[in-house]
Amino acid sequence: MSYLEIENLSAFYGKAQALTDISITVQPGEIVAVVGPNGAGKSTLLDSIMGLVKIDGDIRLRGHSLVGRTPSEIVRHGVGYAPERFNLFPYMSVRDNLMVGAFTARDDIQSNLSMVHSLFPRLEEREGQETSTQSGGERQMVSFGRALMTSPELLLVDEPTIGLAPKICHEIAEVLRKLNKEYGLTVVITEQNANFALSLASRIYVLESGRMQTSGTADELRNDKRLLEAYFGGH
Amino acid sequence: MLQILIQGLLLSGLYALIAMGFTLIFSIGRVLNLAYGAYLMVGGYMYFWVSQTLGMPKLLGVAVAAVLGVLMGFLKYRLIVKTLKGDHVAVEISTLILAVVIQAGIVLVFGDSSKILLPIVPGVINVAGASVTYNILIATLISWAILLGLFAFVRLTHTGRAMQAVSMDAKGAAISGIDPDRINLITWGISGALGAIGGVFFASYTQLSPSMWVAPLIISVAVVIVGGIGSILGTLVVAHIIGFLEVIVVATLAPELRGVFTMLLIIGVLVTRPQGLFGREEL
Repeated sequence: MSYLEIENLSAFYGKAQALTDISITVQPGEIVAVVGPNGAGKSTLLDSIMGLVKIDGDIRLRGHSLVGRTPSEIVRHGVGYAPERFNLFPYMSVRDNLMVGAFTARDDIQSNLSMVHSLFPRLEEREGQETSTQSGGERQMVSFGRALMTSPELLLVDEPTIGLAPKICHEIAEVLRKLNKEYGLTVVITEQNANFALSLASRIYVLESGRMQTSGTADELRNDKRLLEAYFGGH
Repeated sequence: MLQILIQGLLLSGLYALIAMGFTLIFSIGRVLNLAYGAYLMVGGYMYFWVSQTLGMPKLLGVAVAAVLGVLMGFLKYRLIVKTLKGDHVAVEISTLILAVVIQAGIVLVFGDSSKILLPIVPGVINVAGASVTYNILIATLISWAILLGLFAFVRLTHTGRAMQAVSMDAKGAAISGIDPDRINLITWGISGALGAIGGVFFASYTQLSPSMWVAPLIISVAVVIVGGIGSILGTLVVAHIIGFLEVIVVATLAPELRGVFTMLLIIGVLVTRPQGLFGREEL
């Protein structure tokens, strides 16, 4: 039994179909990336796992189906989510944003908070600042931090590098590796930046126009230039 | 001058309490609960029935009014707002109709003549040369205490922070493990209680009548529109603008114009600054 199993998933926004017949498996302790161009359905895929969109098919976590569960129940099942647009609470301080993340994990506040502060010392320095006044990189840190405050076993990260400077992308990659290696989190990221995905993930799924095009280990896809060129124009 | 200052502070404190329950709902659901005035009316009448008709303790009257307010809030959310989901116009039309239905119910049970509510605390005190009834003084102090308590609740508790979170970003709240449905229900309950308690004080300041839901509703709508959003501090500030405006108009122009300038202010803000004075989505 895999840790996360997505089986024949189709997702809809109203009547528009955003994903068609997607199947993905994730083993415990893995970093898996879903890559694809803008509009491929990457965010929809993560939203589906979180119970935020209407779906057909099945999504199982440790063998338990998540279909029909509310996002709040799915968070309690150990899934943390850092969405692409962050969805932070703009007029709350950094600290209060993190505290909202602790809504379902109140016993772990101290340990989670010190983990977040050790990963992102900047958040401790800026804990009183409103997130509406922060840079994109800082908001990304708050978004990660808030997800970690929910005590997740599985971390979903939507386009962690979008709009961020290369140096910050590098830091984000380091943090994700650390969360995976040291804290034992299973990680699923989505990316447009194929190189970032290849450098981080052990396995990669390629998504385009809501359909799964191909998948394989990072090594297999790295050597398959034609395939990557087809989707990313050789970047 | 001093008289105006004191009257203004007292009236504004009461208005802040009245408007708070309304702005709370606007803040969290971006919807105008046009039946809000009915909470005040039912609260006032319930207090009248318990403490004046039945002769029970006054505090019990306030408590019964508050509990009924909570129940009304719960029911309204479950039966109307949740069912109509995101359709704000439908919610607003239904709540307005509901207010008229409740008004008819009040006429049926209590008759359509207005009733005098005895002061909750009788007596008059002289404050810096101005005579002030204990009733309005106590009402204002209790308003402040309730608003302070609400402020602390929203800022310092997990549930309060969750209310702020839902008001600022519903998706962000959901992925933090918050059930927006439950937070909405709690907020509607708190709003009902605030309205009903506000209604007891409002009725003791004016009088009980089946049309008494209109004036507080206009005050509440004005606070939301002028303030721009339902934050607690914003509500407090705008309640003072409206309260002082009324007191100054009554003292210097004519008592008949009492509510007129509040309505003109609504239009003025809508035309010149539609996002309101503050225009921030916070609680």
